[in-house]
Amino acid sequence: MKRVTSLLAATSALALIAGAASADITVGFIGSTSSDTGLSTLRGAQIAIDEINAAGGVLGQQVTLVTADTQEDPTEGVKAYEYLAETAEVDFIISGSIDDVSLGWLPRMQEFQIPTLDTWTSYIGIIDMVVEDPELMAPYFMNVASDEALATLYINFGADVLKGQFGYDSVVILAEDTAFGGAITGLVTEALAPVAGIEVKDIIVYDINTNDFAPIFSKAQNSGADFIYQISSVNAQVISSQYVKLQVPMMMTGVNVAALGMEYWGDTGGAGGGISTLSPVPAVGFALDDRSQAFVDTYQARYDSRPFYPHFNGFNAYYGLQQAMAAAEQAGGFDDVAAWSAAMVNQDLVLEKDGKMWLNYGFWDQGEVEPVTGRTYPHNVKFDLEAPFDDAQPSMVVIQWQEDGAVGVVYPPEYANMEITLPSWVE
Amino acid sequence: MLLQILIQGTLLSGLYALIAVGFTLIFSVGRVLNLAYGAYLMLGGYVFFFISQQLGAPAVVGVLCAAVLGCAAGLLKYRLIARPLGDNPVAVEISTLILAVVVQSGIVLIYGDSSKILLPIVPGVIRVAGTSVTYNLVVATLASWAILIALYLFVQRTHIGRAMRAVSMDRKGAAISGVDPDVINMITWGISGLLGAVAGVFFASYTQLSPSMWVGPLIISVAVVIVGGIGSIIGTLIVAHIVGFMEVIVIAVIAPELRGVFTMGLIIGVLILRPRGLFGREEL
Repeated sequence: MKRVTSLLAATSALALIAGAASADITVGFIGSTSSDTGLSTLRGAQIAIDEINAAGGVLGQQVTLVTADTQEDPTEGVKAYEYLAETAEVDFIISGSIDDVSLGWLPRMQEFQIPTLDTWTSYIGIIDMVVEDPELMAPYFMNVASDEALATLYINFGADVLKGQFGYDSVVILAEDTAFGGAITGLVTEALAPVAGIEVKDIIVYDINTNDFAPIFSKAQNSGADFIYQISSVNAQVISSQYVKLQVPMMMTGVNVAALGMEYWGDTGGAGGGISTLSPVPAVGFALDDRSQAFVDTYQARYDSRPFYPHFNGFNAYYGLQQAMAAAEQAGGFDDVAAWSAAMVNQDLVLEKDGKMWLNYGFWDQGEVEPVTGRTYPHNVKFDLEAPFDDAQPSMVVIQWQEDGAVGVVYPPEYANMEITLPSWVE
Repeated sequence: MLLQILIQGTLLSGLYALIAVGFTLIFSVGRVLNLAYGAYLMLGGYVFFFISQQLGAPAVVGVLCAAVLGCAAGLLKYRLIARPLGDNPVAVEISTLILAVVVQSGIVLIYGDSSKILLPIVPGVIRVAGTSVTYNLVVATLASWAILIALYLFVQRTHIGRAMRAVSMDRKGAAISGVDPDVINMITWGISGLLGAVAGVFFASYTQLSPSMWVGPLIISVAVVIVGGIGSIIGTLIVAHIVGFMEVIVIAVIAPELRGVFTMGLIIGVLILRPRGLFGREEL
C-alpha cells in the first residue's frame, strides 16, 4: 500500500512538473470575428503565432490564441474583455476593435493591467491618457498612427494637391453622425481647411442608416463648394457607390473606411471608382517590402474567405505580436507589466525597400516630442510628418480607387505609385 | 431646389409605395402585422444578387426568380405560422418578427454581415434641372405605378380580388357567401411575398444589400399602413408620397439626420387624431 501511494505521489509530481514546463502563453484576440477589420487582425496574429511557435515559442513555451468576439458593440466588447481576463486568463491581448469598442473595454484594461496592443483604433484621446497617467496606461500600445497624426499629414495633401494642384478654394463636409465623424469634422474645420486655405461652405451630417444619398448630394452641390470631404466609417460603400451611380459632379475625398480593403471594389459592385481617401500604412495599393510581401503570400495561401488581402491592421497585428513576444522574452514574461512595457517601447523593426527605410514599427516613448505637432505620442507607433520621411513612414498615405478598379497611393510623392485623377464625369 | 425636391420626392415615393403595398395587403385582408415582411425584401435582394450578379444571368431572370421565391416564402409563412396561430394575432406578429431575425442570421451565415452594392437593374444616369437621376430609380418608380395600378384593377375587377375585399371587410360574412377565407389568405400572403421580393430587388439596387436591410422598409411599411389606413391601396400610394416628399424636404431644408423624425411624428399624429388612418374604413 505504501509503495502504491509513493508511486502515485511521484507520478503526480512528475505530471505537475511536466505541465508547468509545457504551460502555454495565452494571447487573447478581442474584436469582431465576422468583420473584415477584426478578421485582418485575428489572422495576422495567428500567422505570427504560428511562426513564433515554429521557431520554438517564447521563453520555452508555445503560444496559444483565444478569441473573444465583440460583434463591434461596446457592451459586448466589455464582456469580451472580461472573458479574456477572468475566464481565459490571457497573458496578452491583441485588439482589432473599432474605436468605440476599445474605449468601452479600456477601463477593464486599466483594472486588469494586461499588456494590450490595439491595431485598428486610432483615437488620440487614448494616447492622451498615456501621457496623463503613464503608470495606469503602461500595458497599452497602439501600432496605428493616431487620428490626429493622420489628419495632420492630410493637411499637407490639402495644401499641396487639393489647393495647389486642383485650385480648390472651398469644401463641403459630408460626415456620418458618429463620434468618429464628429472628431474628424473638427480636425478638418479647425486644422486642415484653415491651414490649406480652403473655406468650409457647409457641414452636412447624415444618419449612418441612410440609404438614399441623392438628396444629400444635391444639398452638397447646392452649397457651391469645389469638392466634397467625406467622413464615413460605417457602410461607407453605400455613399461611395451612390456617388458614382449619380455621377455627382464634384471631387470626393476624405476618410472612407470601406475603401481601405480590397473587398471595396466587389462590395460596391464595381461602382466605387473615383474616390480618394486617407489610409494608414500599409494601405491597399501600397508597394510592399519583401518581408511584408511574404506575409501577404502566407496569408493568401492560408485563407480563402474575405478579407482576401489583409487590411493595414493585419500587418500591424503580424508585426506587433512578434514585437510583444520579443518584449516578453526580454522582460522575462508578461507578469511584470512595467518591465514588459519598457521592453516593448524599445522595439524597433525597420523594413527596407530598395535599400532604404520603408516601414518602421517602433514606438514613441514618454517625453519624445514630434517636431511638427510639438507634442508627444507615447506608446503610439512611430511616424514621420515631414518629407522625405527619413525617420519613419508617413502617418498616412492617400489612396485612390480608379474607375477601372485599380488602386494605388497618390500621396505623398515619396510613396506614390499612381497619379491622382478626377473622375471622368467631373469637369 | 424646388425642382430637385419634386424630382427626388417623386422617385423616392414610388419606391416606398412599391415597398408598402404588399404589407398593406396582408394587414387589410389578414388583419395581421407581418413583421417579417421586410425579410421578403431581403430575400428578394439576395436572390437577385445570386442569380444576376454572381451567376451572371440577365436582370429580368433575377427579378423573376426573386418574385417566385418571395411568393413561395409568403405561402410557406402563411401555412406554417399565420394559419396555425390564426386566432392569436399577437402570436403571429411575434413569430413573424422572430422569423425575420432568423432569416437575417441565415443570410449572415452565407454572405457575412458586410453590405454589398447591387449592380443597377438599368444602368446609367441623366441630369434633370441639375439633379442626378439614375435610370434604375426611374424604372423602379414606373414599375411601382404599374404594379399598383395592376393590383388596384385586380382587386376591383377580378373574382379573387373581390373575394379579397370581402374577406378584409368581414371574414365570416365572406365565408357564408361561399368564399374560402383560408384560400384567399393564402393567395394574399403569396402576392404579398411576391411584391415584397420585387420591391426588395429595386430597393437593394438603389441603396444596398445587407442582412439588416429589412428593418428600414418595415418601418416605412408600418408608417404607410397606419397613416394610409386599412384596405386602401390608393391610400398606400398617397401616403407613400407624403412620406417620401417629407423625407426629401427635411434633408434639403432642415437636416439629413432628421429625415426619419417627421415620419414618426406623422404616425403618432394620425394615431391620435384619426386612428383608422387617412383613407381607411371604420374599425369594427
